[in-house]
Amino acid sequence: MIIFHGDQVELARVMKEEVKKDLKNCLEEAQQYFRTVSGPKLTLVIDGKCLMYALDPSLRVMLLNLSLNCTSVVCCRVSPLQKAQVTSLVKKGARKITLSIGDGANDVSMIQAAHVGVGISGLEGMQAVMASDFAIAQFRFLSDLLLVHGRWSYLRICKVVTYFFYKNLTFTLTQFWFTFQTGFSGQRFYDDWFQSLYNVMFTSLPVIIYGLLEKDVSASLSKKYPQLYMEGIRNSFFRWRVVAAWAFSAIYQSLIFYHFVTTSSLTGQNSSGRTFGLWDVSTVAFTCVVVTVNLRLLMMCNSITRWHYVSVGGSILAWFVFVFVYSLIRENILYVIYVVMSTFYFYLAFLLVPTVALLLDFIRQGVQRWFFPYDYQIVQEIHRHEPDDNTRAGALEISNHLTADEARSFAISQLPRETSRHTGFAFDSPGYESFFASQQGVYAPQKAWDVVRRASMRSKLKAPPLPPKK
Amino acid sequence: MGQFELPIESSFSAMDVDGGGISTASSLSSSVPPPSRRKKALYQFTQQSLPACKPVLTPAWVISTFLVLGVAFIPVGIVSLHASNSVVEIVERYDAECVPDAYKSNKVAYIKNGSISKNCTKLLKVDKLMKAPIYIYYQLDNYYQNHRRYVKSRSDKQLLDGLQNNDTSSCKPEESNGGLPVVPCGLVAWSLFNDSYIFTRGAVPLKVNRKNIAWKSDRDHKFGKRVYPFNFQNGSLIGGGKLDPHIPLSDQEDLIVWMRTAALPSFRKLYGRIEEDLHPSDLITVNLTNNYNTYSFGGAKKLVLSTSSWLGGKNDFLGVFYIFVGSSCIFISLVFLLLHLKDSRPCGDATFSYWNRKNVSL
Repeated sequence: MIIFHGDQVELARVMKEEVKKDLKNCLEEAQQYFRTVSGPKLTLVIDGKCLMYALDPSLRVMLLNLSLNCTSVVCCRVSPLQKAQVTSLVKKGARKITLSIGDGANDVSMIQAAHVGVGISGLEGMQAVMASDFAIAQFRFLSDLLLVHGRWSYLRICKVVTYFFYKNLTFTLTQFWFTFQTGFSGQRFYDDWFQSLYNVMFTSLPVIIYGLLEKDVSASLSKKYPQLYMEGIRNSFFRWRVVAAWAFSAIYQSLIFYHFVTTSSLTGQNSSGRTFGLWDVSTVAFTCVVVTVNLRLLMMCNSITRWHYVSVGGSILAWFVFVFVYSLIRENILYVIYVVMSTFYFYLAFLLVPTVALLLDFIRQGVQRWFFPYDYQIVQEIHRHEPDDNTRAGALEISNHLTADEARSFAISQLPRETSRHTGFAFDSPGYESFFASQQGVYAPQKAWDVVRRASMRSKLKAPPLPPKK
Repeated sequence: MGQFELPIESSFSAMDVDGGGISTASSLSSSVPPPSRRKKALYQFTQQSLPACKPVLTPAWVISTFLVLGVAFIPVGIVSLHASNSVVEIVERYDAECVPDAYKSNKVAYIKNGSISKNCTKLLKVDKLMKAPIYIYYQLDNYYQNHRRYVKSRSDKQLLDGLQNNDTSSCKPEESNGGLPVVPCGLVAWSLFNDSYIFTRGAVPLKVNRKNIAWKSDRDHKFGKRVYPFNFQNGSLIGGGKLDPHIPLSDQEDLIVWMRTAALPSFRKLYGRIEEDLHPSDLITVNLTNNYNTYSFGGAKKLVLSTSSWLGGKNDFLGVFYIFVGSSCIFISLVFLLLHLKDSRPCGDATFSYWNRKNVSL
């Protein structure tokens, strides 16, 4: 035990050497543990003072190696800057996605340093919440955030993006195949208003509803099987293979739409022997496109609510209503849909073309689900006979009856939100002053307003701060 | 940074400080009035707890769907194919043979020369009974009525309003002639098909009904009843047939049929109807005038006589494809059934999940 008086630089150097030795010992010890087959789980405990030296650029790598070998690392008595530094170390050194969660103002720098920052709103103020990407009310909601909502969010984004590309690709490729038969002159296959409103009116609402409401497994099952989270880590739903499958499906479907409709339009179309023109053929094709693309969305859903039916049915209905009205107004399309719908050919084509178009996707889905299932599909199968935890018999009944759970949950949401009594000042808690002071060996008295404040807080929630040490 | 509020899904104990538990909950729920239906629906929507149907695609569903599709499609296909097979069709290409020998090497000169007679005679032999009405079509091949500039070159407003309409700029270059406007303007009308056909069976002429060959909606709503052709086909370059200026456009059915631009480069348009039966081994003599110039661009002209069924003309495509799809569905369902019986993954067996297969530890 060496006692130094005054020479801070020398003190720092010696401390650094000690820390370095310690770290090396720990690292060797950890590696030795790992060489045994079933080693125990290791935890690293390091405090702020040591961390001050361990985060030195020369020792940082060793610290990182040691930390990554351990199951968990506990850093105690760290300053906000050190929190941010440790987070950055893992973020840049280990190249992993990092998540920080904190509730106080001292966590703000850590929350901002990580990839995903989660703030807990509550008694420490709203500082962490304001600096974070996600705000939750209690620490234990983190599991919900990751395992339930994070996972659903990933699934939804992947599916919405790939579906969007698919539906536009299908629609555009039918026009592309047409160009081969127009002498490459650039004549459009569809009327211009059909094209403009395709993405706005006829196919937009179902995919929005899907993005809002899709669930592959319910919330309780998501938490029961946290291994499902691995699908997001492995990026199962947005690989090039998945995108290519959708693109292939779009190409196949566009070929079906174009060729089936045009090939069967050479001769007279009904018993009066009259023939179809360009706009008749393209209206039939467009009808098939809209119906197929919307039904494809339903095929893709894992959980179908009333809104799905409304939006898909509504979009198809909107198309028919639109074309009925539009055919009465626009000169070149005049009465086309009425002419077309007066032939048997239209109904036969309307039955055949979407079915053939969706057949390949259905086969692919069946084969994939059967022989190469995703994990969530297996979980769905395990629990397929259980009633949905949200539905109850007669869920659409008029009465306002809620179960006890729902009533409690609803009542909570009706309570006024708790406002924090704190001003939210950073660094105003007594812990820091006395910490730094104790390092210097100085005793700092507690401030009066601080004592009063601590006394006014609820007794259960905060343990009395440690008295400053000499 | 955007914020995301996590919905509070858990129970009352979330805000519970002293562990009141169930008793506090029930007292609370009895004191709060039951939420209105709209509030309840909104609550379910925002909390993502809407009642939902969760279809799981089991092998049973796949096999039965394919079986149902197959069983449903094959009869429809058979009916369609039967309808198409019941149609009798005679197709005769005439543009190659109807050129006199002297001009066989220079057909374009022949067709453009107004002084040479364009009459031609062809013989058609009827093989099967053709019941009335028998439809007469002319078929053009390699004729791009769907070319962009061709489709654009018309004025639908002028077809309805006639000379009152001045907005005919889309009809260029066939907009006006000699300073006067052309009704109907545009390339589509200018290139009107003008071959004609006269049919005789032996010595008896067959009456061809040339009325009611256009769609009724076109005659009623697209072509004006008080619009007459004006200054039509008066230029130096003749594109096709002429129109009688005393007949209103809504009665000029040839023009109406022609102006319904076709979708593909090979198309048929209705010429007229024969209202009598044609018996097998009848010999029909067609006196046709080979006026229309398809030689400049390598097109072909064909004359088609066809009966019609409830489904339309002779087109096997729908019928064949229904049968094809139906039988492939049945075949696929059998294949799946065999696979299911032979080697099936048990439904809901967690040993097939990724985490069990790869022994990934968490």
